[in-house]
Amino acid sequence: MASTLVDVVRLLTVLNLFVLLGLAAVWGRNWWDLRSKHAFGLLLFALLLIGENALGAYLFLLDPTVSAWIGNPEQVPPPAQTAMAAFRALEFAGLAFLSWVTYD
Amino acid sequence: MEGVLWYVLTGTRGGSNRARILRAIDERPRNANKLAEELDLDYKTVRHHLDVLKENDIVRDTGDDYGAVYLPTDRARQNWDTVEEIIQNAL
Repeated sequence: MASTLVDVVRLLTVLNLFVLLGLAAVWGRNWWDLRSKHAFGLLLFALLLIGENALGAYLFLLDPTVSAWIGNPEQVPPPAQTAMAAFRALEFAGLAFLSWVTYD
Repeated sequence: MEGVLWYVLTGTRGGSNRARILRAIDERPRNANKLAEELDLDYKTVRHHLDVLKENDIVRDTGDDYGAVYLPTDRARQNWDTVEEIIQNAL
């Protein structure tokens, strides 16, 4: 159970990263065309969250210390893993909806 | 309204084409077919952009189905400063 939750965290972190890259592509292009502060604001938002999720993906999947640590239920008990998964799931839902309106 | 204009015209994938459509119908109300010709866009693409603009109360049509002519709504007119600001950079 515990490691399933950690896999959910890992999967959603990578998915968020891809969704954000798609959003940054649209917003980056609009910024390039329009040069408005609004388009820039959206691009910056995407870039900062890309930073968050890229760092997360590195730490949860690749970093030997942190990835071993979060996968160990004795060190990170299931309620904490549930919370981590919930944060990623909520972020994914928000970004998915935003993509839907942005690609419309 | 301003926020909607900014998002629909600068936050979405079709934003700059929507801005071009809005500029064209501000000059003179036109139907979808004319807009497609004028802006060198696919007819279905134009219809989709018009639907999005309509859904957000930025344009309205005269309601004659196929020959329907599109024009900016009063609400869009009231915020035309914002529209101008966006449109001037859109091409």
